[in-house]
Amino acid sequence: MSQRVGIIGIGQSAFKSRRDDASYPDLVREAVSQALTDAGLELEQIEAVVYSLSPDAMVGIGNAERLGVDAVGARNKRFLRINTGGSTGISSVAAAFYHVAAGACDVVLTAGADKVGECGDSQSVLNKIWDPTYERALPLGTINMLAMSAVRYMHKYTMDETDMARVVVKNRSHAARNPKAHLRKQTTIDEVMGSRYISWPVKLFDCCPQSSGGCAMVLASESYIKEHGLNAVWITGVGHCSESYYLGDRMGDNVEADHADAFALAHSFKRSFAMAGIDKPDKQVHVAELYAPFSNTEFHAIEAAGLAKLGESPARLRAGEFTIGGKTPVNPSGGVLCTNAIAVTAMVRVAEAALQVWGRAGDHQVKGAKIGIASGNGGDHQFFGTMVVEA
Amino acid sequence: MTNTKADSVGTKRVTCGVIACKSITPIDATKRSLEETLYDLTQAVLADGDITIDDIDGIVVAANDQLDGRAISVMAASGSVGGVNRDILSTPSSGEHAFVLGALRIASGYFRTQLVVAWSPTEAENIPEALRLAADPYFHRRLPLDEWSAHALQAARLEFVAPDAAEAARHVVAKNRKHGRQAFPDLPVASSDGAPFRWPLTRDMIALPSGGAVALVLASDAFIAERKIANPAWIRGMGWAAEPGFLGDRDLASAPGLAAATEQAYREAGITNARKSISLAEVTDATPHQELLAWEYLGLCERSKWRREAAAGTFAAGGALPINLSGGALTFNPVFASGLFRIAEAANQVRGQSGNRQAKDVDLAVAHAASGPAMQYNTVVVLGRSRGAPQ
Repeated sequence: MSQRVGIIGIGQSAFKSRRDDASYPDLVREAVSQALTDAGLELEQIEAVVYSLSPDAMVGIGNAERLGVDAVGARNKRFLRINTGGSTGISSVAAAFYHVAAGACDVVLTAGADKVGECGDSQSVLNKIWDPTYERALPLGTINMLAMSAVRYMHKYTMDETDMARVVVKNRSHAARNPKAHLRKQTTIDEVMGSRYISWPVKLFDCCPQSSGGCAMVLASESYIKEHGLNAVWITGVGHCSESYYLGDRMGDNVEADHADAFALAHSFKRSFAMAGIDKPDKQVHVAELYAPFSNTEFHAIEAAGLAKLGESPARLRAGEFTIGGKTPVNPSGGVLCTNAIAVTAMVRVAEAALQVWGRAGDHQVKGAKIGIASGNGGDHQFFGTMVVEA
Repeated sequence: MTNTKADSVGTKRVTCGVIACKSITPIDATKRSLEETLYDLTQAVLADGDITIDDIDGIVVAANDQLDGRAISVMAASGSVGGVNRDILSTPSSGEHAFVLGALRIASGYFRTQLVVAWSPTEAENIPEALRLAADPYFHRRLPLDEWSAHALQAARLEFVAPDAAEAARHVVAKNRKHGRQAFPDLPVASSDGAPFRWPLTRDMIALPSGGAVALVLASDAFIAERKIANPAWIRGMGWAAEPGFLGDRDLASAPGLAAATEQAYREAGITNARKSISLAEVTDATPHQELLAWEYLGLCERSKWRREAAAGTFAAGGALPINLSGGALTFNPVFASGLFRIAEAANQVRGQSGNRQAKDVDLAVAHAASGPAMQYNTVVVLGRSRGAPQ
């Protein structure tokens, strides 16, 4: 195999509902500047850029990455964009990884931003991901799509709405320790249970916010890192896996990919674990940043990552295993439930896992973390990207 | 595409070749759905490579939301290209970027094969209106500015700087129309109407968008050797680069992004005199002026010789260096997928699989793919019958 690929710089906005002070390219540039400062590099040293942006309609500009070329310093340089929906951010890191692993470049930047809070109605945009003839008219949105997963998970296992509320309480308490998180106010089970229903059983507090902000990361080859005496953490596992486009193909009792679970996410993790040489994730992984935009989906993500058996994660959450200080903290940053700037949400998962194994996560640091994992979900719970990051 | 840096850590070099190419020209949306079209295309390209879907390790797809009338339009491909339970990535920046990413993934050593698929346009009723959404919403969208308007500004600037360009452009149109009648006898006859379109472009200088889909299979040297594949088109060099998003920041009579992409590709391929080394070219010609710029920046014909060489038939079928034997985008223009069509056409010439437009003895071909307003993105791929000397 090719030489190792390291992460040498990370930048993230302090995510908010609105960023009236910054245009869309400004937000991208903000994250790029932070990542370059973190890496101690200048734009001139970047050889290629992978631009991270999910649906164009979210920013209201067709091929909006074209207006970001100068913001990321890519003029006359290698540049392409990735879009796998919500998993775009982790897919972009993967694409940057392949640039370096292929030997095409030594230093690659991946960056993006989103203004979900300013897009009008994100669910109107997201309804347009479905086939115009069969599923769009139901009408489907990403909230009722994953509410159906919650109902199915309740049917198959033992989760109830209070279990879902416990995920929110945990992640909000984590976000309170993360200055970059969007929703940082702690909450209680009663407050979550008392919030209004959005799509039963998902309530307002079970949902992620619509965030504005950017994220950027600089990746480099092992030889470049050694030659320049840089600090790095290493990407040791990369995997993607897809499910079917039609949601209906995941419904029913005899389907391979049951909508309660995250079939392709589990397969994606198997690929990245095999690459990283991890065969007992529940024992080997120290920290996990898992893409879960609604509280119920954190359970099947934990199980797909091999941190708990199918249906067991609600009980283990109740035992405190996934809280900072527990056996394997999940989403110590507060996760997607507390910050969701869609274009970079899954990149933030990798960035946060990297900061953890680097020992640079500040107040939400998991003590002694050396192996971290990250995931991203995109499309209609269809595209899944996963990564292993090690100190 | 050869991983040359892998040697530094004592690992094996990976070289990549194109082992199959198929296209659908045009898509008849009244008879087949997008999914059916992509399924048929995938089956055809697998048959062309004498492989099955089980041989495909990963997939990269490219499509454009605005032209498809869907958000995250790549989602629709999951099932029909064999993406379910496979590692699939997608790019919305251009069809040719899917090729770049596929080649990088193989050169990384983590994949033996990649299926690369792009299509466009399918469901947009008004293409200029859809493309106009890509203009900056504050400064340019109200002009109104679509891609053809940007192409026309480029043509006007080029004719101002190089007065011979207008006459040379007419020769290019005649050449590509003649090639197109040979290559695609069943396509509707292109307009010969010299009426104004977007000044200085006339109606006969462009092809209206058509639906098309194209797929290629890329494979590693190890896979090609194991399967004893006799006629791959080896990727000898690859470059890609972007120019700024604002037209006002560019001199449209020059193409520094194409210069950068060419430099990368020729450096990898060891080409110092392209006119001498290259046997055949497929270049982007959304307008004939774009083809002229490609002649110059690919090192095939200096600007001062455009008119003379064009009139002499140097680049016509039977000439010293045939360019666009397929008829180019002036014959068939699937907009977003047009660049990947150029690469597939060049690869098939090298493979000896070009049928009614096959040139003799194509040892080394160059493909130029451009996308966006006035060639904002440029990709250059050098393909050879032989694997080439180690870099």
